[in-house]
Amino acid sequence: MPPILWIHGDCLRPTNPALLAHPDAPAIFVWDDALLQQYHISLKRIVFMYEALLELPVTIYRGDVVAQITQFAQLHQSDTIVTTATPAPRFKAICSQLRRDYTMQVLAEPVFVDIPINTDIKRFSRYWQVAKSRLIP
Amino acid sequence: MNTPLQREFASRDELIAYLHHEFADIVGDDTDVAPTRGGRQAAVGQLATINPARYTATRNALNGAVTRLSAYIRHGVLSLAEVRDAVWQRVKYPHDAEKLITELAWRDYWQRVYAKIGDGIWQDREPYKTGYAATHYIDELPDDIRTGQTSLACMDAFADELITTGYLHNHARMWLAAYLIHWRQVSWQAGARWFLQHLLDGDPASNNLSWQWVASTFSHKPYFFNKENLARYTNHRFCGDCPLARTCPLDASYEALGQRLFPQMPPQ
Repeated sequence: MPPILWIHGDCLRPTNPALLAHPDAPAIFVWDDALLQQYHISLKRIVFMYEALLELPVTIYRGDVVAQITQFAQLHQSDTIVTTATPAPRFKAICSQLRRDYTMQVLAEPVFVDIPINTDIKRFSRYWQVAKSRLIP
Repeated sequence: MNTPLQREFASRDELIAYLHHEFADIVGDDTDVAPTRGGRQAAVGQLATINPARYTATRNALNGAVTRLSAYIRHGVLSLAEVRDAVWQRVKYPHDAEKLITELAWRDYWQRVYAKIGDGIWQDREPYKTGYAATHYIDELPDDIRTGQTSLACMDAFADELITTGYLHNHARMWLAAYLIHWRQVSWQAGARWFLQHLLDGDPASNNLSWQWVASTFSHKPYFFNKENLARYTNHRFCGDCPLARTCPLDASYEALGQRLFPQMPPQ
């Protein structure tokens, strides 16, 4: 079964790894009611993000993210959801809910700097000791 | 399933009116819209204007050659990796790229911390080093700050710019945050929520952890500044017309301000 794509607000570009991997798959973006209630972002932020969405091949909804994605997957008779990784805890929570009923493929963003996974990040200075020589020759 | 939102608009004004209506429960009577355009096309245009060498030389000044890419990076309209590559393409000498690459690395660093601590970004990472307990700080943003009516010309101008444009120069963010936390004794969380509401680049990790850096809950000492520092990097644009010019609370040496703001701070 062909997948559907879940596009979220941390990766609003046409070169989103999910869109690149499946250019013809139906894609959804959901304005997350829970996040909107939490942050009460201003109109200018909504306009700025919406202008990015209008340049992407996505169907735009507002509501409960898991419920909207689930119904979108049913509409397209898909059992696989492809999306792009982000560290936001809300993203992880939504993925683990979707994983109960769907195969989730979370694609990585291009790497900015490749450092060992156990690098000390307690302070920027410690991270920079490891990252600098990999970024600046 | 809910009805999809509209995708076709005759003009930007029509889009704005539609969103004002669709998100009325969130934005209320807020009508400010940033001049900055969203989307890949605008982002790529902005990326073409960066000048890493001039950035290095002038970035601390309010009128310096900053990149204005942050909102595009925050929403992944540009990936951090492609901005890194664009920086290298636009310098003659590696030295000219270093400062801007370092600032991009800060973004990468905050995201790595976010991946590790998640919603812990809302909690103090460490105790304040100001001599005050966290409970000392008030958790509400004072009205005179929110509405830009402190009578301090600089801070009122920053608040106004934040609300009307969704952008503030990094130095202005630091001054405003330090004023709020250390002069007005407002918790960094109250300030962080306010910034996230308005900044087009408002990212919970970069924003909150930077506020914590100013507060000293994610650094060894509080960040503060004085009038001389602010005047220097703003080309003295605020003090001339400031109603509080004669009684400016920022006007003192660092030593005197340190004693005034942090009388109970343990010796370093």
